[in-house]
Amino acid sequence: MAGSVIVITSGKGGVGKTTTSANIGTALAHLGYKVVLIDTDIGLRNLDLLLGLENRIVYTIVDVVEERCKLKQALVKDKKNPNLCLLAAAQTRDKSAVDADQLKDICEKLKEDFDYVLVDCPAGIEQGFQNAVAGANEAIVVTTPEMSAIRDADRIIGLLESKEGVERYRLLVNRVRPKLIKSNDMMGVDDVVEILSCDLIGVIPEDTNIITSTNKGEPVVNDEKSLAGMAYINVAKRITGEDVPLLDIDEPITLIDKIKKFFAKKA
Amino acid sequence: MYDNEYFVVDMASCTSTGEIINSLSLALETLNHSGKKIVLKLNESYLNQSQMLSIQSLITSYGCILDTVETINPDTARIAENMNIIVQKPIEKRVEENYDTPKTGEFEPFTLQSKKTDDIALKDVTGLHFEADLDAIQRQQNDININLDLKEAGVNPRSDFETIENQISNQYTKAEEIIPNVEEYSKIASPIEMMDFPEVQQEENKEFENAEKNSIGVYKKAYDENQLQDDEWEEVDFYETPTNDPVVSDTKNTTYINQTLRSGQILEADGNVVIIGDCHPGSEIRAVGDITVWGVLSGIAHAGCKGNINARVRALKMNAVQLRIGNCYSRRPDGTNIPYIIRSSIFTPEEARVIDGEIMLFKINQN
Repeated sequence: MAGSVIVITSGKGGVGKTTTSANIGTALAHLGYKVVLIDTDIGLRNLDLLLGLENRIVYTIVDVVEERCKLKQALVKDKKNPNLCLLAAAQTRDKSAVDADQLKDICEKLKEDFDYVLVDCPAGIEQGFQNAVAGANEAIVVTTPEMSAIRDADRIIGLLESKEGVERYRLLVNRVRPKLIKSNDMMGVDDVVEILSCDLIGVIPEDTNIITSTNKGEPVVNDEKSLAGMAYINVAKRITGEDVPLLDIDEPITLIDKIKKFFAKKA
Repeated sequence: MYDNEYFVVDMASCTSTGEIINSLSLALETLNHSGKKIVLKLNESYLNQSQMLSIQSLITSYGCILDTVETINPDTARIAENMNIIVQKPIEKRVEENYDTPKTGEFEPFTLQSKKTDDIALKDVTGLHFEADLDAIQRQQNDININLDLKEAGVNPRSDFETIENQISNQYTKAEEIIPNVEEYSKIASPIEMMDFPEVQQEENKEFENAEKNSIGVYKKAYDENQLQDDEWEEVDFYETPTNDPVVSDTKNTTYINQTLRSGQILEADGNVVIIGDCHPGSEIRAVGDITVWGVLSGIAHAGCKGNINARVRALKMNAVQLRIGNCYSRRPDGTNIPYIIRSSIFTPEEARVIDGEIMLFKINQN
């Protein structure tokens, strides 16, 4: 059975596409599926850093396209999980080095050997986006509960709908802060889903572990205590078709909160 | 050979006059050279009088004087002479005419073409500094082999160049009568025994013995063994076959760069590269010869990219994501990333060399 190609996109930059790709990829590999991550952000590659594979890259997607190496040679295996592979982007070129048909070919070839092909899309709707979407038959639209990100996500969904190959797209709401939502300072997940009228695949809470994990080059999924990591694992399970209820992302009540509450009552 | 008041511009690789003018004006614009005498290396390209005049006026407009033209093209030389410009032949060609005995520690490449081959080699060996590096020693030995070859062929190395040449060609024609393709035969023939220089030999052995001790870190091979699947890697013929030519680096031009190399920038050079500045992660340097970075090297460095495994990479601080020398690939061990995690001002100058097919780092002062 051929695997599925999932593009992870958002339109706006900095909402967590690359973090999402790295974590979902790692989570799927943990679940026992064969996964390949493709970084299509040529010239501004970061996925290799998040996975900690920066020093292993010899050939990149541009080398594959320009036939300097075989596709298999360019695949970098993950340090820990042999199920996970990375096809890195070239840092010394730009988006025009690859075109949509070539990427589609690569996706088709990889589909035969892997269960999931995750394509990390660059920000914007220009050629980089067009390339990334070309081979995809499923999409995950990443957004944050902010107006700017939602507007860009809406535009992206519009573009995805007009694409022939993309059969299904789902929404992932990233960097959600339950406290702010409670105090009505942030848009709720329900509101976001309502505005975009789109299926929800998951909700990822804001997590400071993400920052440290990015710097260390180790996806947060590997950290069992991390709330964001658990949320990403749930997303991965939903991708495989499992029905998992949404994670309770309310921040646990800390001792300080209890003390605050105690004094609030007194006052 | 040229002192401070000269500025040498190498245009040997340029093919058209437009290209020469373009790169010349770029070179003069980027650095301040007013009042200097320009030495223009043209090699074999032909320039007519009007082209030469326009180049001269370009140089004058930057406040410099076109002093010398190095060319092997007789027409260009004649025109330059008419314009009162000094004409010289390029260094490589002049070697055979007037070979100066190299000073100790300086090893200029020389071949059978040079006169007084024997004298030079002997002087070099007797005056050899034993701190000289392995390459130098190997080069010495190569030279000695040449001499022995000559003696074996019944040639007196002390006689002058023409006589040697004639004698050797005689030997070859004689040999050709007996063996149809002497060239091939000479390749198979066993090498003549090396002259015995105990000190040199010992030094060489020591160098290998101490390699493990001196090396402060072995860069891991770029591919882990478990990453090597099947026989996929055998078909990599992306780079040229490795050569073991020790003189390659010395004879090449040196590119001198005074800026920081940032992510995504590639520096490619035909010869050696010297960079005054840092090389950030994501940048790449590819040089046919050696690479020297006066700063932190954090990108990818590929020395001897045409296959010379004797090329070297030096940096004030070695943090390269990957080091490649010739056809040897290596990567930084996981979890060490100096610029991002510990950014200290302490520099530990290091040099990467290939020893037994593995890239090793040496502190530069240990040599």
